[in-house]
Amino acid sequence: MAEAAKAHGPYRIYWITWGILLVITVAMLAAEKFHLPRIFLVLFLLVFMLVKATMIGGNFMHLRYEQRNLAVIVAVGLLVTSVILFSFITPESLSVRARRSEPVAAPAAPAHHP
Amino acid sequence: MHDSTHAAALPAGWGGGVSPFGATWQKTMMWIFIVTDGLLFSGLLSGYAFLRMSSLYPWPERSHVFSIPFIALMTFILITSSATMGTAVGAAKLGDRKTALRFLILTIAGGAAFLGCQAYEWTHLIEHGARLTSNPWGAPQFGQAFFILTGFHGSHVLSGLVVLTITAIRTAMGKTQAQGVEMAGLYWHFVDLVWVFIFTLFYLV
Repeated sequence: MAEAAKAHGPYRIYWITWGILLVITVAMLAAEKFHLPRIFLVLFLLVFMLVKATMIGGNFMHLRYEQRNLAVIVAVGLLVTSVILFSFITPESLSVRARRSEPVAAPAAPAHHP
Repeated sequence: MHDSTHAAALPAGWGGGVSPFGATWQKTMMWIFIVTDGLLFSGLLSGYAFLRMSSLYPWPERSHVFSIPFIALMTFILITSSATMGTAVGAAKLGDRKTALRFLILTIAGGAAFLGCQAYEWTHLIEHGARLTSNPWGAPQFGQAFFILTGFHGSHVLSGLVVLTITAIRTAMGKTQAQGVEMAGLYWHFVDLVWVFIFTLFYLV
């Protein structure tokens, strides 16, 4: 890797990555101005979030230069766990909200003791 | 079964032995730590999702609570500090101690600036009534999610600064090898990586 870096300017990859990350961040901040439907806006943001994460993992953390099994274990492990967590939490949180929004029975009037 | 027979039956790189990932044990351990720490943040973000989706009250409008240009500035600082850290790692690998030290110091400055911005943001929100269980803008759970997520991330930035400061001092003394700088760099980039998720899921979505 060091030889490749020397051949192409030692630190170029970090500053190119920095530039791309900044452009993506600005695009994410500007996305709201286009008044997209919320579902498209959220999808757009999530996709670019994953692109940024991949660039940081690959170029800054050098995962693209490591053996593929290390990169696979890191990326798949984190991604699959997160997807499982979110996919269980989403229906549960919606059902909790539905239960809490049901009208609550009025408390029984206190008994009057003579 | 003999070890070599067992290794031959597996694809290259999966055979175990001295270096199954083709990395030193220090780097392997650092990656194991990063994955487990990543799982911690995955759990925290899931908890935030639960609080937000199960809330009966509307989640606060981000433009009413935060200054988005200020959050963008924090993001810019952290991304830039990652680039300076990458340069420090690259320089250390090339044996250029002077450049490595210079960029380590720049990274520390960036981290300190980010932490200062976060302290300012916390102070500002607390002054305006944000608490763990209540706030003036909407769903009361907002405060819990905000303080826990950004607090955990901020504590990682703080510990990263400690690691970087020790690494910089040892680099100046000529005691840290390139691998030491690389380990510190992996942790720092992880802190940046977590911010990418918090920035998107908490501040933008």
